[in-house]
Amino acid sequence: MARVMIVDDALFMRQLLTKIFVDEGYEVCVEAGTARDAVEKYKEFKPDVVTMDIVMPMMEDLDGIGAVKEILKFDPRAKVVVVSVMGEQSLVVEAIKAGAKDFVVKPVRPARLLDVVKGLLR
Amino acid sequence: MQDSYRELFLSESQEYLSNISNRLVKLESNPSDPESLNEIFRCVHTLKGMSATMGYERLTQLSHHMEDLLEELRGQKRKVTPEIMDVLFASVDVLSELVEDIKTNRESEINISAYISELEQIIHSDIPSASKAEAAFPRGKTSPVHPESIEFSEEELKAIRYAKSKGFNIFKINIRLVSDCLMKESRAFLIITNLKKIGEILKAVPPVEELEKGFFDFSFSVVLITREAQAVIRQEMMMISEVEGVYVNPVEVSAPVGPAANTPAHAYIKKIQSLRIPIERLDKIMNLIGELAIARIRLSQIVANIKEESLEEASVLLSSLISALQDEIMQTRLLPVAYILDTFPRMVRDMAKKEEKRIDLEIVGSDIELDRVILDEIGDPLVHLIRNSIDHGIESPQERKAVGKPPAGKLQILVSRQKGQISIEISDDGRGVEFDAVKNIALRKGLITQEEADGLDDKKVLDLISLPGFSTSEKITDISGRGVGLDAVKSKIESIGGRLDFTTNLGKGSTFILSLPFTLAIIKAMLVRVGKEVFAVPLINIRETIKVEKHDIKVLQNLEVIRVREEIIPVLRLDKEFVITISPEDKNRNALGEINSNQEDGRVPIVIVEFGKHSLGLVVSQVIGEQDIVVKPLTSLIKRTRGIAGATILGDGKVALILDIMSLK
Repeated sequence: MARVMIVDDALFMRQLLTKIFVDEGYEVCVEAGTARDAVEKYKEFKPDVVTMDIVMPMMEDLDGIGAVKEILKFDPRAKVVVVSVMGEQSLVVEAIKAGAKDFVVKPVRPARLLDVVKGLLR
Repeated sequence: MQDSYRELFLSESQEYLSNISNRLVKLESNPSDPESLNEIFRCVHTLKGMSATMGYERLTQLSHHMEDLLEELRGQKRKVTPEIMDVLFASVDVLSELVEDIKTNRESEINISAYISELEQIIHSDIPSASKAEAAFPRGKTSPVHPESIEFSEEELKAIRYAKSKGFNIFKINIRLVSDCLMKESRAFLIITNLKKIGEILKAVPPVEELEKGFFDFSFSVVLITREAQAVIRQEMMMISEVEGVYVNPVEVSAPVGPAANTPAHAYIKKIQSLRIPIERLDKIMNLIGELAIARIRLSQIVANIKEESLEEASVLLSSLISALQDEIMQTRLLPVAYILDTFPRMVRDMAKKEEKRIDLEIVGSDIELDRVILDEIGDPLVHLIRNSIDHGIESPQERKAVGKPPAGKLQILVSRQKGQISIEISDDGRGVEFDAVKNIALRKGLITQEEADGLDDKKVLDLISLPGFSTSEKITDISGRGVGLDAVKSKIESIGGRLDFTTNLGKGSTFILSLPFTLAIIKAMLVRVGKEVFAVPLINIRETIKVEKHDIKVLQNLEVIRVREEIIPVLRLDKEFVITISPEDKNRNALGEINSNQEDGRVPIVIVEFGKHSLGLVVSQVIGEQDIVVKPLTSLIKRTRGIAGATILGDGKVALILDIMSLK
């Protein structure tokens, strides 16, 4: 089964997303709580899919968008799904420009998210 | 081509319409229910799109106007008022009529302009809320995109011709997003970004800048110049989430200016999960499988004679595959009861309104499945029983208050599975049936004797009130009370092998209980032997089987009868009825070596069957046992034979006739 990496600064969201994936039989191989951590963990674990909270605070010179860009620089074929709150159109657009493959809007609907991931893994 | 789409259109649009109706009923009782509003909006929107694609002008127009109004309600720019509900209900009715006209190929005479102007009046009337600025949201720019409506300028045509000459493909791509798509501007941006990766966008309707601001309905069109094939583009688009449908059509420019590509080579649809199959085709498959089962039995008999192991193995495998196939096909005949119950909320609402009553309808178990043939048959009876409850059962709000009940009556439809049967209960908490009233009318009309009247119970009351011409209702209403109906309901239910029961509780309400077989294709039956012939008696008709001494069969006024616990039951000898000679050998035929012949041991097996309130004892040679049988209809030549409902193939390949108890007298 596909391996998923979950990036979100909120533990609650990480747990919620993990449950969505695990219930569906995916393996959540690693989680990251900061943008910098996300980039490093990606390089280490090379997951099949990444869900990336786009509205993460800037830490160690890197925010959500920065993480998307770094991950795609490292692996142009990375499958990054952006998770955004309503109204952050410009961030989503920037992420897509950087190479994010798809996005979902919070509050995340499990079926929608799984749909996205399934589509990317096909 | 057009025809097969038409069928699809008809069946789908009917589903949408019934969904809209039901949601409207919900919305009416809870005007701030966003879920219903969204669902109604989604259905109307989809219906509009479908109608436009099929070129049904009036459907498109009316649903478009409805959509405008719904959009305002959804955006909370306008509140749901009773007037708005009425207009919406009326509009849905007109939509249904328009669809009906298409279905019957009738030249439609419905004029929709009155409805449109009503809708427009509401839309153009002042918005009472303060959010007017928001209402100025550029809806004008969200013109719905008709896939055929893209027109090209001279330059664009030139570009297309040039690209074609260089071997590029030009596609018109119509993309529809799911109607609950959030941040659709970003979604559009993602789609356009992905399209740009595989080609060049020549044109978009609405234009790309507007798409990326979210100024579009839920669908838009893009003309793409690309090296990729149609299928690749479709696949790419399908990978993006919240894309509900993708149409990719090659653009033809050989035609002079005007709408391009009028013969769409459809490359389309995301994720087909179900197919619609004409019922006749299913029936044919069902029949072929029946034939297959017979051939299988013959084959296995031949195999048994040859005694070749490998052949036997193959034959056993074949047999189990055929049974599995048979089971699967059986499943395809089943439909959830919701199929008919879904229209009921609206119907109940209308009836209640007319009768000036208030009714809360509750439907439980509508996901339970039934043979579609049975479903077809029980629709009318159910409607009738419901009318009956609304008209006679449930009291007016004033009356209810006076007796301390809540003003709104409760009507419950409860579907459940019970030992090989489906039961549908329709209960109300109304006034119930007054035994005395029934008794008096029955006595006055000379339907019962005083003695019978004293021993009245629920079952007998049902028999009485279902007599033609019997009515306890003083007034005759539009819906019931004309004294026809209950008898029709009863005989209809019995004709498909079901049963109607009734219980009532004065002042507390009444319940009608329909017991129905799962399917008409396979029934539980008791196999009996008469001479050499085997007959199947539907189990639902059987009250009991008994053995009596030969001399217990008495003759009363030229009729043979038996006495079973104080009850005199007429007797029918099946050998005489079907002119079967029982030879002495037949009497001794006995595969199991049990006593089975009626003369030898002096005891006669009798199957007592019931229909309506009559009982009848069938004299047979032997009761073989219970079995599930596959009903095969008879061909027209012998279809009308009295007493025979059909035939079935037994395990040994022999044919057994199925008795039609109703017509045995």
